[in-house]
Amino acid sequence: MLKKESTDTTQWDTAVSVNGVTKVFTQWQRENAGRGIIKNLLNPQKKIISALDDVSFKINRGEFVAYAGPNGAGKSTTMKLLAGMLQPTEGSVSVLGMSPNKDRISVMRELGVLFGNRTELWWDHPISQSFEWKKVVWDIPDDVYKRNLEMVIELLDIGELLKTFARELSLGQRMRADLAMMLLHSPTLILLDEPTLGLDVVAKRQMIEFLKKINHENGVTIVVTSHDMDDLEEMAQRILMISGGKVAYDGSFDGLREITGNLTRFIVTMDGGLKLSLDGGKLINANKGVYEFEVDVALTPIKHLLRQLSDANGVKDVEIKKSPIEQVIAGLYASWKKEMV
Amino acid sequence: MVKIKRVLRLYALYAKMDLAWLLRDTTFAVLAVLADVITNLSSVTGVFLLAWRFDGIGGMSRFEVLFMLAYATIITGIFQTFCAGGNVGHISRRVGRGQLEHMFIQPMLLPAQLATEGFIPFSGSSNLISGTVIMIIATVNLGISLPWWWIFSLIGNLIVTVAIVLGKSYLASSLTFYAPVQAEEISSYVIDSFGHISTFPLSGMPLYLQIPLITFIPTGLLAWFPTLALFGRAPFNLPAWYPLLFAVVLWMIATYFFRKGLNFYVKKGINRYHAMGHRR
Repeated sequence: MLKKESTDTTQWDTAVSVNGVTKVFTQWQRENAGRGIIKNLLNPQKKIISALDDVSFKINRGEFVAYAGPNGAGKSTTMKLLAGMLQPTEGSVSVLGMSPNKDRISVMRELGVLFGNRTELWWDHPISQSFEWKKVVWDIPDDVYKRNLEMVIELLDIGELLKTFARELSLGQRMRADLAMMLLHSPTLILLDEPTLGLDVVAKRQMIEFLKKINHENGVTIVVTSHDMDDLEEMAQRILMISGGKVAYDGSFDGLREITGNLTRFIVTMDGGLKLSLDGGKLINANKGVYEFEVDVALTPIKHLLRQLSDANGVKDVEIKKSPIEQVIAGLYASWKKEMV
Repeated sequence: MVKIKRVLRLYALYAKMDLAWLLRDTTFAVLAVLADVITNLSSVTGVFLLAWRFDGIGGMSRFEVLFMLAYATIITGIFQTFCAGGNVGHISRRVGRGQLEHMFIQPMLLPAQLATEGFIPFSGSSNLISGTVIMIIATVNLGISLPWWWIFSLIGNLIVTVAIVLGKSYLASSLTFYAPVQAEEISSYVIDSFGHISTFPLSGMPLYLQIPLITFIPTGLLAWFPTLALFGRAPFNLPAWYPLLFAVVLWMIATYFFRKGLNFYVKKGINRYHAMGHRR
């Protein structure tokens, strides 16, 4: 659908390799009218859904990759395939050089998985008990456990939660505890499916900072899905976008902006009563003398726009920033939807 | 050796977690123990009173009936102690609720996880303890001398019977892979419903009822057959090891269908997830 940026993979080992993966599901279909119910009884109708259609990509060790796409695009399916919870209909998946299905135990020793809508914590036990459970099940050596426990307590600020029962934690606290538990065995690759789901601003900040830190300092490879594109842009260096079961974009966030047109926001404050228009600019907002334009600077050179602004009467202040990634993505999703129709 | 050590560590861990769970609140612990004792006693009282009133049932003496009831209670107790935690015994619940995926991400073989995670020796052992006490009372009152190896025969029979209970549960639960919503509770129906029937002595019943109940619907193998076999009177002159043979065949069939279901599960996936019920 969109251009694919070339990435040099020779200098790093591959953490994830997905080759020609297709994953097909069936969905029951039924008309709701009386005749449909009878017809369904005799001849049930099923629809074949391709959650993933010949998808291929590679993720290198140490990368922080955002895996994004509209609802139903196949994000969670990919995560489940990588975590060995599902098998592909066609194609192959390799995680840390192993098959998540055939070498499940070896993969799980090095992999951390966190789904935002489910918890690995023991509900009716204090958090420290869940951590102890993890130590035994994952057979974590004492020194590694102690070191990691100290690290997660400090970085995720969960010292005061250790004696609290999981069922009594707030969502943000629970997510931090889950994330801490996931890291106790020093995973080299972590898969996060909607980890910021339902978190407030403070909890989200803590999680993002922590993930960036372990990626940067410990070299942990991270693949994360989220609906919050601004969060993803802040965290990840690369974005893999999926739509209709296919990889629609694989590259940097800046590259994504270029593809959708290099949309830039100009926020101009004018002296009372004076109006302004910009060449190639689309007026997004005008309020009490503050005008917000969106301009594709690939089409209208920024030099020209600055000249226009400096020649204009009554310009008090100018602020220039990139369009929010949320908006760029929303535009993309809409165009993909049209293409599919 | 290392694997055995790890499994023992897991048993110790789950035992500790169970004790901590039971003792998290004194009132809760007292009420839980009291409720279990009342339930256990009431479950055997009805049939035993009938046996007492009619001086035995179908050729079994009062205390043979009591022994059989104790045997059934111990079976429930072993199941509760080793398999009740996290619905490991009632595996259809875990499959139907999409919770099996939690097990896929643990670096352990699935059978090892299933064998250890259900261990709740403190909150689950009330049936085992009360069943043992009732069995001692019944054996003493039977007034028969038993050889030294009889106790090993008893233990062997108990293990085989639990294997049959689990085999039934896992065989029935294989359906849940294909119909998660409809079959979510199938293992509890299979275990509990047939478990209730197992406390009734089948002696004296017509053959057309007895034979199906030790073959297709093996309720008679859960207490009645082993009780008579332990006293040297196995029904239909079948060898005392017939339940063992049955358990082996049942496990082979259950393993085949459960694996088949598991393969279906990882290929097709399950569009269902309930957060509660597998960890407490």
